[in-house]
Amino acid sequence: MIEEIGKLSVIHSKGTLDWAYPTFILASTAAAMDKEVELFFTFYGMKAALNTTDDLKVSPLGNPGMVLHSPVGPDWFKRVDLNHVLPGLIWTLPGMSQLATWGFKKTMLQQGQVPLDELRELCLELGVSMTVCQMSMEIMAYQESDFIQGVEFAGAATYFSKTPVEQSLYI
Amino acid sequence: MQLDLTNLACPMPIIKLKKFLAEQVGQTVSVEVLLTDKGGLKDIPAFCKQKGLNCQLLKNEPVIVFRVESIKS
Repeated sequence: MIEEIGKLSVIHSKGTLDWAYPTFILASTAAAMDKEVELFFTFYGMKAALNTTDDLKVSPLGNPGMVLHSPVGPDWFKRVDLNHVLPGLIWTLPGMSQLATWGFKKTMLQQGQVPLDELRELCLELGVSMTVCQMSMEIMAYQESDFIQGVEFAGAATYFSKTPVEQSLYI
Repeated sequence: MQLDLTNLACPMPIIKLKKFLAEQVGQTVSVEVLLTDKGGLKDIPAFCKQKGLNCQLLKNEPVIVFRVESIKS
């Protein structure tokens, strides 16, 4: 067995559902491969560590790279990238971010992905260490009780004291 | 023995395989792993290499099948 297993650390700064997946996917995989994993949630990224993930949404608005497929309808329609074919103005209408979020969640499940809460729970189960930025928490008026069990609260220095010397990811 | 990981996307096949292996501590492992996640074609061997396990691709259509087993000493 390879002895040098190393560490993974991710600074998670995005407060949307689409960006929460890569962080937890990388973290759970690295932990499954026996790496020590440290996640640091800062600014809007804190939302990925809240008790409820209902606030995490996706929107094609101002998100040109996003690919959005309908999870329902005939096959030809499901293959259409709605973010590509519909005018951007559509996504400003009331209810569109809820609709896009609903579609995104359903498509993820159809593709064999698990709900984000479950993936996050698996990360904790696999020993992923999670820290919420104390300063961000205070600025945004959250309380420790708003976050899932198992996260710690600290500042940037604590994060850097625990992370790899050579590499961290910023998501 | 078979481990059915079909219809699961990354990272679940790796996590389920890891959990399965954790239940086999101290035992010789020999299991057929079934999956539909194309990324697994490279990920399962990479995971096995890191875990010090033998991994052989038996089939890749329509379902990917690997034999994963302990290295015989």
